[in-house]
Amino acid sequence: MERARLVLRSVAPFLVALPVLWFVQGSLASYTSFVAINIAVNVILAVSLNVVNGFTGQFSIGHAAFMAVGAYTAALVTTGLESLAIPGVPAAVSGQAVFLVALAVGMLAASVAGLVVGIPTLRLRGDYLAIVTLGFGEIIRVIIENTRVLGQATGISGLPACTNVVWAGMGVVLTVVMARRLLQSTQGRALLAIREDEVAAEAMGVDTVGWKVRAFVISAAFAGLAGALLVHKIQLVTPRMFTFVKSMEVVVMVVLGGMGSITGSIVAAAVLTIALETLQAADQYRMVIFSMLLIVLMLTRPSGLFGTREIWDVLPRWRRRRAPGEAP
Amino acid sequence: MSGTGQPVLEARGVVMRFGGLTALSGFDLTLHSGELVGLIGPNGAGKTTAFNALTGVYAPTEGDVEVAGRRVNGMRPHQICELGVARTFQNVRLFKELSAFDNVRIACHAGSRSGFTSAWMLTPTHDAEERRIAARAEEFLSVMELSPRRDELARNLPYGEQRRLEIARALATGPKVLCLDEPAAGMNASEKVALLELIRRVRDQFQLAILVIEHDMRLVMGVSERMLVLDHGVTIAQGAPEAVRQDPKVIEAYLGDGKLRLRPPREAGTGVP
Repeated sequence: MERARLVLRSVAPFLVALPVLWFVQGSLASYTSFVAINIAVNVILAVSLNVVNGFTGQFSIGHAAFMAVGAYTAALVTTGLESLAIPGVPAAVSGQAVFLVALAVGMLAASVAGLVVGIPTLRLRGDYLAIVTLGFGEIIRVIIENTRVLGQATGISGLPACTNVVWAGMGVVLTVVMARRLLQSTQGRALLAIREDEVAAEAMGVDTVGWKVRAFVISAAFAGLAGALLVHKIQLVTPRMFTFVKSMEVVVMVVLGGMGSITGSIVAAAVLTIALETLQAADQYRMVIFSMLLIVLMLTRPSGLFGTREIWDVLPRWRRRRAPGEAP
Repeated sequence: MSGTGQPVLEARGVVMRFGGLTALSGFDLTLHSGELVGLIGPNGAGKTTAFNALTGVYAPTEGDVEVAGRRVNGMRPHQICELGVARTFQNVRLFKELSAFDNVRIACHAGSRSGFTSAWMLTPTHDAEERRIAARAEEFLSVMELSPRRDELARNLPYGEQRRLEIARALATGPKVLCLDEPAAGMNASEKVALLELIRRVRDQFQLAILVIEHDMRLVMGVSERMLVLDHGVTIAQGAPEAVRQDPKVIEAYLGDGKLRLRPPREAGTGVP
């Protein structure tokens, strides 16, 4: 009985989310669902980058590269296995199964890329780390641009349109649950300790390099998931989708929402995505708007919208007192 | 109280050189469990350097450091911590933006083997582990009389409590040796006396070996069975507090060459910074 309760608690967010998403999926117009998927992808990106930048306090600005690795790997899987129908199963179902495999393989590939980049770079700190992650991000993109199998600069087109609101929404739920449970565990506290004081963390038995690499790998894996979801909506993957501009976009979302705040990242990602979508005409001023936004933010609220707190700690401050250590 | 058998911490001929500067030379130390040893010396004598060499912040240039018979030269601080050497810092280094409780919980992490996956799936093992860690953290907070401050952010605690929280955090790693780097710095006289009592109680309760760096000679003499005096990286005296206090070399290190003074120091050794 106890065991059943534990299992239920573990999977409850997914059980709740699935029918809700299913219902939402049916009721959305096609443009709205396109925007919704965009928001979902950016939420996954922002929350996963927050694991490195916010929880662990390591400033990485190469997130788009891991997104690219996940996207291309998943694209190779879906295009490669498209003709492969699982016997005795309807085509639609086997297509979904292939997509699930593609997402998993994409995440795996991205986490391997995270490991490869993370091991040498995470010995650096602060600005040095930022520059090196930026460099690695560009390297990965340039490699993709020059690889024939990956379609070089034109990329891979004609991907199956697998991503819908349900897939994207489940991706968000998975990412948020990951981040939330991480933050409330002893493993997550090790990451926070690194952010607060690396020397003290090391002296208290926290293997700082090891945990930093692990945080980086997790973050990369979810960036890969976001990339894989995105390209299977727009049915196209090109290297130009994963430039420095994309990385910066995610960094802005994390900083805007507050480094270390999960809900902050979610809100910031949603707001920025909608803003960008409505300002389509001003697309070439995107970076100008972003930098202005960052400058204003740094002047008025240097720690982002919510700082390291969550939305419920900030908004109804007069009603609900926070009870730290208690799982919400 | 000096124990017998295998020392928990042993340093043999440890030399720390930074370029041309020898910050520590021929440093020897044997620490048995239950012992409380004071490490004193004037500013820049190499006390903190000795600490850093023992806890793995620096790898000794020469010599050996052994924890419970195991050579730890060149190991990283977190590995040495897991072997049972915990420390506090001269300038308090708490996790400022986290609660007192979380500060201690982080230190309880040492020895935990459960990984990310069990945290994500909220497995029963993970649950049990979290409960164990929480109980442990509460225990150390109460030992250091910080239970009422459990949910306070570390940076909001008064200075004396920050120092105590640092000791609680160090204890939570489950050490055999506790190294305190000027635990009473910045405290007033009554706080110092209370801290002293607390350190002694902790030593007895957990059967620890404690190594204390201190500027306040009176404090350290009152609490330690054995003292070690460093000057310019060299151990100039060691032994019982009274003997060390009378040692002309110690007096000279602290008060300078008597010949240069107008009056010889009457009460050598006390009232020194």
